[in-house]
Amino acid sequence: MGSFPWLTVILLLPAAGAVVLQLIPGRRTDAIKGWTVAVVVAEAVLVGMVVFNVATTPAQGGCPGGPYARCAAIGLLPLPMHLQEQAPWITAIGASYHLGVDGVSAWILALNAGVFLVAALVVPRLTTERLKLFCGLMLLTETATTGVLVSLDLLLFYLFWEGMLIPLYFLLAFYGNENRGRATLKFVIYTVAGSLLMLLAIIYLHFQALNQGVNTFDLETLLQTPLAQQSAVPLPFSSVPTLTPQMWAFLAFAVAFAIKLPMVPFHTWLPDLYESAPAPVLVFFAGVVSKLGAYGFIRFGITLFSHPAHQLQPLLVALAVLGILYGAVMVLSQTDIKRMVAYASVSHMSFIALGIFSLDQNGINGALIQIVNHGIIIVGLFLIADWVEARTGTRDIREMAGMERRTPWLYAMFLVITLAALGLPGTLGFVGELTTMLGAFQYFWLLAVLAGVGVVLASWYMLRLHQGLMHEAPTPRTEKVRDLRLREGLVLAPLAALLIFLGVYPHPIGAVTSQSVPAVVRLADAGQVTAHDVPLSHTSGAQR
Amino acid sequence: MSMIAGLPLATATPGGGDLVGLLPEVIVAVGFVALMLMDLVVPPSRRSWLAGATAAVLAGAFAMSVWGWFDAGPAGRTVYFGAVAYDRLSAFVNCVVLVSSLVTVMISPGYLNRRGLHHGEYYALLLAATVGMMLLDAATSLMVIFLAIELLSISLYILSGFARDEERSQEAAIKYLLLGSFASAFMLFGMALVYGETGHTQLAQIALAMSHPGPLDPLLVGGVILMFVGFAFKVSAAPFHFWTPDVYQGAPVAVTTFMSVATKVAAFAVLIRVFDDAFASYYAHWSSVVIAVAIISMVVGNLAALTQTSVKRMLAYSGIAQAGYILIGVAVGVAVPLGVQGALYYLAAYAVTNIGAFAVVTVMSGHGEDLDSYDHLRGLWFRRPYVAAALGFFLLSLGGFPVTAGFFGKFLVFAAAIAAHNVALAIWGIGTSAVSIFYYLRVALLMFQRREEGEEQPYAWPRTSLLGGGAVAATAAGTLILGTAVPLLLTVVQLAQAGTLPGAT
Repeated sequence: MGSFPWLTVILLLPAAGAVVLQLIPGRRTDAIKGWTVAVVVAEAVLVGMVVFNVATTPAQGGCPGGPYARCAAIGLLPLPMHLQEQAPWITAIGASYHLGVDGVSAWILALNAGVFLVAALVVPRLTTERLKLFCGLMLLTETATTGVLVSLDLLLFYLFWEGMLIPLYFLLAFYGNENRGRATLKFVIYTVAGSLLMLLAIIYLHFQALNQGVNTFDLETLLQTPLAQQSAVPLPFSSVPTLTPQMWAFLAFAVAFAIKLPMVPFHTWLPDLYESAPAPVLVFFAGVVSKLGAYGFIRFGITLFSHPAHQLQPLLVALAVLGILYGAVMVLSQTDIKRMVAYASVSHMSFIALGIFSLDQNGINGALIQIVNHGIIIVGLFLIADWVEARTGTRDIREMAGMERRTPWLYAMFLVITLAALGLPGTLGFVGELTTMLGAFQYFWLLAVLAGVGVVLASWYMLRLHQGLMHEAPTPRTEKVRDLRLREGLVLAPLAALLIFLGVYPHPIGAVTSQSVPAVVRLADAGQVTAHDVPLSHTSGAQR
Repeated sequence: MSMIAGLPLATATPGGGDLVGLLPEVIVAVGFVALMLMDLVVPPSRRSWLAGATAAVLAGAFAMSVWGWFDAGPAGRTVYFGAVAYDRLSAFVNCVVLVSSLVTVMISPGYLNRRGLHHGEYYALLLAATVGMMLLDAATSLMVIFLAIELLSISLYILSGFARDEERSQEAAIKYLLLGSFASAFMLFGMALVYGETGHTQLAQIALAMSHPGPLDPLLVGGVILMFVGFAFKVSAAPFHFWTPDVYQGAPVAVTTFMSVATKVAAFAVLIRVFDDAFASYYAHWSSVVIAVAIISMVVGNLAALTQTSVKRMLAYSGIAQAGYILIGVAVGVAVPLGVQGALYYLAAYAVTNIGAFAVVTVMSGHGEDLDSYDHLRGLWFRRPYVAAALGFFLLSLGGFPVTAGFFGKFLVFAAAIAAHNVALAIWGIGTSAVSIFYYLRVALLMFQRREEGEEQPYAWPRTSLLGGGAVAATAAGTLILGTAVPLLLTVVQLAQAGTLPGAT
């Protein structure tokens, strides 16, 4: 694809679209929505080309094999990247405009373009107040999420990561149901608190590199500048020797990502927010924004901090398994369908976290597949929940039953998504969960067993949700519901089709992710090799 | 930091070169006198002419300051026997102060007319205070520092009591006068001790005297600390902040707009010049005090702001907290140059953001009482979407979100603290920033709250005038530019820092 700055184009296209959008008069709602859809379609096409490029061409750089130090000696970059762009940005502090895409980010980028496309399609044109503002903010969010996925400079990454909150804040604060104020505030404060800690860690990494004579925020350069081994430092304002500075820095990153993901115990903002947000916002929020936490762990967390990641691995996987089980149990105790989906999301996201923290090639591959899988599923589930609420006027599952007779199309689509969510073979969910569990098994067999319990619980709550809505005799609220409109069906059908197609033929995902995952795992393993501390648990490292 | 060495006292009479160094100040001072005279001949119905004349004076001084930036060169020099600096630091801070004054003049006529306070002396006093601030950021002699502070303070004492019929405004003026005089006394005492121990009033020579190795001089340390107390009062750092909320709330909001920004900017400029350069060799003795005040300001400012229900008081406490963040840069400025650069960046960012936030309050204040209670903002979004969006943007910038000016200000001072191996200070900053998001966003959320059916509009928001809207739009654009065109401003502050103490070669 030559030297054309493709990534800059996909980064700026939505923002430029948002600017042009402001020229359309506010009462031309059809033109506003049409333009928005046109922009996200164009973006999706371009992203498709980028992903195709990643899948079909060899990457630049990357360590082909063997110990990393040897690669660095001959000048190879640690991560194989495509379509790299690099330009000076703030030279005084060494920040650069460095973009790139690889097997880790490519499919999440595609997911990103896809969920924004769905979100743009489901914006209710006639009932959305200040439609132009809504669409503009949505496009700005897309630029920010794209920026998070393609930035290879830590400061640039942080800028998009935190800047994303500005359009999101306005979207959540202005649109949504009456509880949105509180929920939005809770979410923003949670996220900002985590992100600020990460900023501190980023600055710390910068000065660590600067002490070694490298003035940079660049991920690849930082990966080649190994952190000096340091002894434990006292906690501020106490003399108790605690963790090493690297450990603190990793914890700061981990908290920021764990809040976004969210991992138990940082999940409490999620149910309230998912309950109060409007459907189009939910589509891209649940679909991709929360996935960025997982992406951050893979891209930055376990590569930059391989040593602390290995030391804390038992704690991290324990939290992930706890999240799987806790989320599942919470779904079973809910009666509000949106909250059920929200807690199911907690459980599924913890599955992704488990895959990542197995620090194993299978596990991370599985996590990436699960990211795509869950992105599609959650979009479908929230759309269905929203449409059911619009049709019946309630979100209480006890007041609904027997919709199957009047809504055969909804029934069918919902069924496919339900089955994918519970990981039935033949759907993408099965591929993702199986690969993740393989990774977890490599680390410690009990984890795979507990994750399996989570899958069983998932079958229980997903079928309970599906049957509760669809089977048995109709209630007064569901007597007169109508089936999916053609427009709604056309949005859901591709999602369902994709879940089945990729479930049967997951090669397109695997081929792309397997380009980069070995490099990530190699970087993560570097910490294990140099780890001279006693692992916190006997299982850590014993498997290799 | 520049090298400190002796400088022989000039004995010749001041010449044209000295005058050039003071040209922006002279323009504003002449404008001040001219406006007092113009007020006598301009008919009351044409008072907005005075605003136009004031704006012209400020624009002229701004142009001269920009020219001076290039003319003074990287090292800068002192004029009038080493009393005043003609360098890039003063040119930079002059520009920030002048822009703040200009924005204040833009929003004033409409506001003063609504409040029935449109008197000619308002503009003259504004210019007098501006001269004081410009002199303050250029001062390199203890005497000039004190005179400049008094000049700006006296003008502001009068301006804060400008609503003559309002008890609160009168109370604000008295409170400001009493506590301000108290702080001036502290500073003067400190200056006297410094002079007594070093034998000089000029900063370059004080620096030279202080850098001589010798036994620690406790009186000199006392003088340095007392001077810091005086400055801390002017920048409203805790625990010297008690006047701030009352004065900000009581004064007419157009005055608060000006006072909350320009005073702080000028006082921080001189604080940087005096402490990070002249007193650099006593760094070990004053740094812990400055760090303590920084932490107290961040904690007290942010925690107190949480419980406010008045917009002006919230912004006052937020200003106290912001002073704490800037003090981080000052506190580590001797050890790492990034500290001073960060503080200067933060000052510019704070100026444009905070003046924007107060400008919105001014523009939205109608007849009768100022817009003040949180409740007055409820539902603003549905009536004045652009103004509400701008205020939301300013609040996000104050909270330090990226792509706004506030982010890079915070980023640079925290980076400076970490570079100076004071991670704890950065953690205090990070923690309190996280707290601050709560109250900034709480106010912003109120604007998006819908009114109940049949409920009356909480406040009669005036229509936005062209000038007022322009001021808000310009500050919003500035907030965005300082948050995105970072390399530009970073270069500017690096160059500005180069000549922190001219005359010392």
